[in-house]
Formats: sequence, structure tokens, C-alpha cells
Amino acid sequence: MKKYFQIFKISFQQEFSYRLNFITWRVRNILQIILTYFLWSSVFKNPDTSVFGYNQEKILTYVFGILILRAIVFSARAVDVAGEISNGNITNFLLKPVSYFKYWATRDIASKVLNLSFSIFEITILFLILKPHLFLQVNPLILFTVLTSLIAAVILFFCLLFITNMSAFWMPENGWAAQFLFIGIITDFLSGGVFPLDILPYTFQKILYSTPFPYLLFFPLQVYLGKIAGLEIIRGLVTAFTWVLILFMTVKFIWAKGLRRYSAEGR
Amino acid sequence: MDRAIVVDRLVKNFEVTEKEKGLRGSIKSIFNPKKKIVHALRGISFTIQPGELVGFIGPNGAGKTTTLKTLSGLLYPSSGFVQVLEYDPWEKKPEFLKQISLIMGQKNQLWWDLPAIETFELNKEIYEIPRRDYEKNLEELIALLDVGKLLKTQVRRLSLGQRMRMELVAALLHGPKVLFLDEPTIGLDLIGQQKIRDFIYEYNHKNNATIILTSHNMDDLTNLARRVIVIGAGRILFDGALEELTNRFAKEKIIKISLSKEVDIKGVEEIGTVKHVLFPEVTISVPRSTVAVAAAEILQNFPVNDLTIEEVPVEEIIKKVFRGELTRHE
Repeated sequence: MKKYFQIFKISFQQEFSYRLNFITWRVRNILQIILTYFLWSSVFKNPDTSVFGYNQEKILTYVFGILILRAIVFSARAVDVAGEISNGNITNFLLKPVSYFKYWATRDIASKVLNLSFSIFEITILFLILKPHLFLQVNPLILFTVLTSLIAAVILFFCLLFITNMSAFWMPENGWAAQFLFIGIITDFLSGGVFPLDILPYTFQKILYSTPFPYLLFFPLQVYLGKIAGLEIIRGLVTAFTWVLILFMTVKFIWAKGLRRYSAEGR
Repeated sequence: MDRAIVVDRLVKNFEVTEKEKGLRGSIKSIFNPKKKIVHALRGISFTIQPGELVGFIGPNGAGKTTTLKTLSGLLYPSSGFVQVLEYDPWEKKPEFLKQISLIMGQKNQLWWDLPAIETFELNKEIYEIPRRDYEKNLEELIALLDVGKLLKTQVRRLSLGQRMRMELVAALLHGPKVLFLDEPTIGLDLIGQQKIRDFIYEYNHKNNATIILTSHNMDDLTNLARRVIVIGAGRILFDGALEELTNRFAKEKIIKISLSKEVDIKGVEEIGTVKHVLFPEVTISVPRSTVAVAAAEILQNFPVNDLTIEEVPVEEIIKKVFRGELTRHE
């Protein structure tokens, strides 16, 4: 366990070693928040307008919620795995008594902690400046469910990211493209990162709910907003954790296959 | 344990995709990739005793690095048997990994943006090295490699030679019993090379460590390795003492003549290949089988002061090995 704590520490130092990079990235985040805020508040100029069950207050909560959830779920360092496979850096880890998954999980957690602490700070400031009307959930049982679904979301995303990245074992030069297409566009879209999924046609939603994607962002947020309750929550959690199990096994399976393919090239 | 490393009829094939040149070729290879099987190792066998230092030599692409990677558990053998310290490397058991180290001259395990000491501390935890051993090993390695002042410098600000020495520290902190060194002196200046060489010698003797070394550097081999394994096109061509290489592979012998007076040496060319002339010294090489006849002929026809018959220097043979000029049946 101690080794992973040391990895956590060194990851933190690493994140800080490019200070300017870090600052510009934070600035980009703030601009993004301001931009989406003004976009949606102008769409819902009249506080009584309601589209697809969203009024101004709920859509703003959705937008802010997505930003925070993205910081928790989507901020991950494991995007570098494909690169490590194709340039042979992964060799370093295969030679050491350390679990590659736990290594990246640790680095991801470090990245999430850093990201989240800055996000909370920035969002608090923006909240004080913009004073938006947001929906605050106070029911402890619901908050606990949100937390549970978040844990599932984080693991799901980690697995999806790992599976995508491991394609580099077979196509060393396509790792980046696979990542951009699958994680950057498709996953973001299907998980509700671009717009609320419940504005989609009903059948499409139904199909989507049996895939892992909505459980990354949309489901936890819906639970928070109180838009789903009771049996639906339980069904959602069961689906999410079933996917956790399936994807986890898939990761292990592909990893074992990939390692046999691995030729430690270029090193 | 009487054998640190056992390799028996090891075969490794790779499947590679070939790309035709240009954009058109790249597009074509997306839809219709041309697969090719590369036979990197075609059934090699050898054993190594604990504490031995063995040089692995051969031309580029002969299979040296593939062997080292298989021995350290990175590559899965296509067939054959591999055992290191009585472990199957592929299983990557922590107890096995804690006893080996693979060091490649062109590879980095140090965290590029951080000082080297951070990587060392991380390795301490990863290998679960007790604090006292860690401090003792670190102190020893730092002294031997002379890098004490650089511990807190960001790795990317170090020179190649300094970085290579730091890599060695990082790779040896856990005190591995088996060391695989792949081109450890590549790209270093002469002094840097010597430092690394002295260090390898020391490490081998002090810790009774088993070491396999591949190198294109002649001095690495002649100074360090007593036993060499010559590998070419995935097969072992020779396995034995360094000096024996000459007996096995030198098809020629060297005759050195010292002439007593200046004469036309045209006639010498008919006896053997003239290698070097600096009056009064003439050096020629002749086929092993005719060396006695050649010497007699020279003594008869030229005013000779002195004549010696020597073996081709081992360096010459090794050079031939690197050029891939040795084959099994020579």
C-alpha cells in the first residue's frame, strides 16, 4: 500500500512541474464555465420557460453539475497508457513488482484530487460572482446514492479508458485517434456531457440506459436533481455495477492478450 | 542452485505489419495490412552459473535484445523453456522481479521532470527495500558512480552520461542478483564508458551477481566478459571463453616479419595478404593451413631478421561478429 502512496505523492509533484501549463488549463476551465453559463441563461431568459422538464434553475444546475462531475469522472492520467505502450515505456512497469492498474488508478486519483480541489475553489468564486439560482439537494439518502453512483462512474470511466488505450497493443500508431474519437467525442456525448440525455427520443434513451455511458455523468446527476427515484435508482445502480464487473473482466482479458502481443519495441 | 539462468530451445517469432512507402502505401496498409513473421530466435539454448559475467555479441537484429527481454519476462516465448533463478520470468512474480534488473542504454525509467532522488524514493517503496538497506545501497552506488552532487537536479538537466549513471543507481537500488545490461555504454564518452565498466566489474565481484551484457563496444567485452555467446540470425554460433573465439573463427594467422634490408616486397603479396608495411616491419595474413609453408617460403626468399606467427587479435574477430560475417559452419 505504501508504494501507491509514494506514487500518489510523486504524481502530485509531476502535475505541478509544468506550472504555466497548469495555470492556462485552469483558466480554460473558468472560461468554459462562464461561457456555458451565459449561453444557457440566455436560452432560458424567462425563468418560467421550461424545455423537456428543465427550467432555468435546473438547466443551470445541470450545467454546473456536469462541470463538477467531469472534473471528478473524466479527469484521468491513464490517457497516457496508449503512448506508453507504443513507445515502449510500459516496459519500466512490467519489470517492477507493481500493479500497472493500481499504478494508473493511483495517478488518476491524484489527478482527480488536484482537479477537484481547484474546481471547487473556482466554482465557489464564480458562484459568488454570478449568483445563479441552483438547486441544492439536501436529502442525505439521495446524497449517499449520488456518492455510490459516482464510485461506479469513476471505475467505469477508468475501465473504458484502459480498454481504449490498450488498442495500442495491436495498433501502436492509432492509440491517439481511438482515444479522441471514443473518449473525447462518443463517450462525452453519450454520457450527457453535451446536453441532457432526456431530451432524446424515448426508445433511444431506453437503449442508452442499458449501455455503460449514461452512468458516467447523466445518471449521478439525475439522482442529485431528484429526477429519478425509488425503483429506477436501484435499477440504474444495478446496471452500473454490472457494467463495472463486465468491463473490469474485459480489461483483465485484453491486458493478458495484449501483453502476449507486446514486443517491447524501440527500447 | 547451480544454474542462475537456463534457456532451452527458445524460439520467438514476431508478427509485423509491413508498410509500403508514401501516403498511398499507408492508406493501403490500413485496409489490407501485409503481415510478416519475423523469426527473432530460432531455438537457442544455454545455461549460466551464478556470478558469471557473460558477453552477448552479434550483429544488429541477431536476437540479443529479444533474448534479454524474454529472460526478464517482457516477452512471451513462442516455444521453448526459460528459467531465471528458478522462476518462469513470464509469470512476473514479485519475488522474481525483486531480484532482477534490465538496463538498456537508450531507455529512461527516471521521472524526466523531477530530480533523480524522487525516482529512487519511489523505487524504494515499489521494491519494498528496508530503509537501512536503501540508505546503504544508495550511498554505495552514489559513491561508486560519483553522482552525489546531482541528486537534486531535474533529470532533464543532466547530461547523457550523468543520466546513464543515475539510471544505473535506480536500477540497482534493490540489489538485483541477476542483471541484464543492454548496451550500457552507448553514446557515452571514453571516461564515461570507463566509469560504467569499472562499476559493472565491481558490482559483479562484490555481489556475486550474474550478469549478461550486450555491447557493440569492444572494450566492454574484452575488459569484462570472460565468456561470450555469439548470436547471429537467431541462432547461437559460439559459446565459450573469449580467447577461444579466435581458435574457432580465425581462418587466418598473422605473420610479422622484420627485414634486414630494404627489398622489393612484391613477392610477398603472392604468399599472403599484406596488411601493413612500415619498413622494416611487414605484416601479412595467411590461411591457417598454409602458415608453415608460407613462413618457410619467406625465410627462403627474403632477408629476414625476425619472424613471428601470431593469432588474429580477438578484436578483429569481434568486429567480424558485429558485421555478421561469421556463420555457423565456419
